[in-house]
Amino acid sequence: MSLKGSAYAVLPGPEGLLPPSASVMGVVLPEEGEGLLEGRIVSEDESMEAAAIALLTRKNPTLFPGPLMIWGWTEHTREKSSPFFEIAHEIPGVRIIPMPDYRPIYPKIDPEAVINPCHPNLTIWHNKIEACILVGLHCHFANVTLKMIRAGTNCYTIALCAEAGHEDAMASVPNVGAEKLYKFAEALRRVKRNGVKPLYQGHGIIPSGWAQQAHLTGADIERPQEEVHVGHGLSHELERGLDENEE
Amino acid sequence: MAETLEEDVKTNPQGDVISAAPTPPKVETEKGAAAQRVVDPDYLILQAPREKTFITGSEAAKEAIRRSNVDIAISYPITPQSETMQQVGYLYAEGYLKDYYRAEEEYGVMSAIAGASRSGVRCLTATAGPGLMRGIEAIASWPGARTPAMLLVMCRVINTPLAIQPDNIELSYLLNTGLIVLHAENQQDFYDYPIIGYMVGEKPEVTLPVAVAVDGFFVTHARGWVRLPSADIKLPPRACYHEAVPMMDNENPPIRISRDAPIQKSNFISYQMHASWQQETWAAAERSRKWLKRWLGGLVEVVNPTAKTMIVASGAAVSQSREAVRQATEQGSDIGLIKVKSLRPFPHQELIEALDHAEKIVIPEFNYPGWLAKEVKNVIPRTERVISGPRVFGGMSMPTELLLEYVLEGKKH
Amino acid sequence: MSLATVRVSPGFEQYLPQEYYDLVKDSQFVSPRKVSEMGSFKELIEEHPMCAGCAMTLFIRTMYVALPSPENTVFVGTAGCGRLVLSQGAVPFIYGNYGDTNAVASGLKRGLGIRFADKPKDVIVAAGDGGLADIGFSMVMHSWFRKEKFTTVMLDNEVYGNTGGQESGMTQKGMVLKMAPNGKKFEKMDMIGLAKTAGVAYIARVVPTNPNRVAATIQKAVLIAREIGPTFVQAYTSCNIEYAIPTPKVMDDAREVENARYQFTEYFSDDAKEYWDNIVVEKRKIKGSATVE
Repeated sequence: MSLKGSAYAVLPGPEGLLPPSASVMGVVLPEEGEGLLEGRIVSEDESMEAAAIALLTRKNPTLFPGPLMIWGWTEHTREKSSPFFEIAHEIPGVRIIPMPDYRPIYPKIDPEAVINPCHPNLTIWHNKIEACILVGLHCHFANVTLKMIRAGTNCYTIALCAEAGHEDAMASVPNVGAEKLYKFAEALRRVKRNGVKPLYQGHGIIPSGWAQQAHLTGADIERPQEEVHVGHGLSHELERGLDENEE
Repeated sequence: MAETLEEDVKTNPQGDVISAAPTPPKVETEKGAAAQRVVDPDYLILQAPREKTFITGSEAAKEAIRRSNVDIAISYPITPQSETMQQVGYLYAEGYLKDYYRAEEEYGVMSAIAGASRSGVRCLTATAGPGLMRGIEAIASWPGARTPAMLLVMCRVINTPLAIQPDNIELSYLLNTGLIVLHAENQQDFYDYPIIGYMVGEKPEVTLPVAVAVDGFFVTHARGWVRLPSADIKLPPRACYHEAVPMMDNENPPIRISRDAPIQKSNFISYQMHASWQQETWAAAERSRKWLKRWLGGLVEVVNPTAKTMIVASGAAVSQSREAVRQATEQGSDIGLIKVKSLRPFPHQELIEALDHAEKIVIPEFNYPGWLAKEVKNVIPRTERVISGPRVFGGMSMPTELLLEYVLEGKKH
Repeated sequence: MSLATVRVSPGFEQYLPQEYYDLVKDSQFVSPRKVSEMGSFKELIEEHPMCAGCAMTLFIRTMYVALPSPENTVFVGTAGCGRLVLSQGAVPFIYGNYGDTNAVASGLKRGLGIRFADKPKDVIVAAGDGGLADIGFSMVMHSWFRKEKFTTVMLDNEVYGNTGGQESGMTQKGMVLKMAPNGKKFEKMDMIGLAKTAGVAYIARVVPTNPNRVAATIQKAVLIAREIGPTFVQAYTSCNIEYAIPTPKVMDDAREVENARYQFTEYFSDDAKEYWDNIVVEKRKIKGSATVE
């Protein structure tokens, strides 16, 4: 008996207060050589190309590197840095906003500097991000984050996972090491060659983190006039902040 | 002189020598521990040649632990569990485990398992009835903390009046904790399931603790035929850095690692995160299906799949049901049986399909509330087909005659 | 020393948030710091929601600076005020169930011992008086009886602060608090005496009036736990909210309490004393030891 071919589609939200986890809805994880695309098992190439098109054509594409990408604690981690930036350079107008840890940051996050699994939607809303990659997060925190993004934002989520992949992302590929990251950079080049026109022209990465605060430049991007419609689903008082001591 | 010496030797009721000095490990078993080689889980679980032995459930569990490459076991006595963790203690003395201790009580045991699992080692404990209830605050926090570990549960009465008799009502509490829960039928299962449980629970996409439950005394203290592979092979060690959360060893990032984030009454962490976190914990159990199917040979076993009357059972009730099916067949009746091996995740799709044709579904249980019947009714259509019984509890056995009254004679209560 | 977890992967430095940039450039992870330098370098704790003027916060800040090897330390805590700041620290922190700290730490320390036999891993329980002396009492005592090699630090504010001011076993007799409407009926629990009975290797009672003494006490407690056996530090960390101590008077209160009933005391077992005397002789040779005068 197989649950493959489940009817549940993992699509950009906002899906509402509490979308189900895709796994419980019958979405299963891909095998090596396969990928997930909106809840369906497809080939790795198909999943990567769909993800590449989303990153090139949706507004404010952003890479969210997690602790396992930012911190070079093993040789294996450090070797993924080079293809990561190769991917970034293939996406005009891309931002890099890290998730350096998972703690509940006090008093609140700077949504231009970090994304945090306690309320990832704040960073998505603030920067009007409509396509993102999560890479280098521990799987538990990736899944917690992905569901909250699907709940309250219209962001197209892509999870490049070093382990088994993520049902809660719109596109996901398992067993991603340096080699598959290079392959994803190649997928970005391929879809552009095949006629996908990036939303933004130019090159470079929009600064974030301390470099942004120090007004260091990095990007030369021509941005079209844009009017971004981010689903306002849950964008309410959380962003403004509640009384800290309220019971 | 020799006679005097013999008189001084104290022994316990089992005939073991009581001494302040530790018993020196037997040389050949020391060799055994050192000579064990790591093999692929598929080989250990599915392919390795096996030989038949006639052993108790407790001894079967010991043989599972011997081959599971366990790092630490934490014990606390309670009947009918004590025998198993004593056996594991002998394994430690023989060098099969790296650490072992008897803790203060079950809340301390289950909390220490939470700490040990966060450190990245493979952990084991076991308990029974009231011990499970005492430890359940800690146990219920394991899945959300994504701490793989093995909890063996030897079911017994938990209600007043206090008793040590078999009764599996405690499993109804365990079912809502988020652990993967397997229910062993016999000594063979009690050997196989812990090994499978370790491998499933430590899969990166699962990263969950696993409980292997068994009905006390019927299995733990009775002998049965168990097919065992050679004792010189064992599972690969835990690969903790692949799991779903960072280890609390200060060797992997991030450094600000409040992994078990306290949810506050303020805006710097969202309640929605707690909701998403809980969903993810249960989603992780769903992901274990693939591996349970591979190594358990399916979440259910179906006997006589075309019979119009089907028994659905788990644990020791399966053994009684097998005998009832045999007797019914002798009398010329066609009765089927579905053995539920995994209670969490629950085999809802398997049950819907295997029961689709059934006109009568009998669910025998060793507990008063009938939790398995509720579980089954919750997932299958046309629940009027279900007869929630027979049920025995408080240490009663389940005679096949009683089962046959429900199956063949239309008894319903 | 294992500092791989604060090594930035190539190219990512400019994407670090400011707090992490400071941490990898100018903190204890770069070079050991003295307590007297506090305020002039990036400390291991980040912004936290502790109340203004809280003595517990000062104590915890000092404790972080004093850690002999923060890159090999893991904290264990439980419900209570302390975890609000511990969860913002650059040292892994386990926030467990109510009162489970010393059982969790037992399993954790043993597990780390199995995996890192050649590398000292310091486990420190930092929890309140309620967590350790009331709900976690049995597990605290048994971890001591078992001679588990980790440090227990009691943040003793003599009240359940986080739940809103209820009496604890460590409250002074006679105090009127929530759940003690007519005043507490029995004496403050003698955890120091109990620690001695249980065979704890190093025991200290301290008030954060003297940060250097706090730092030295923590260092002794951590290093002795690493080599000899369980250690216990009972620290008076007043709750200025529940005891209505005006914020500017928090240190005055600490001095008064110290003089009246909380004098600095420390106790070494024979083994611990011998070990510590050797350390004093060879202090400068200890790898990773912060310099505390």
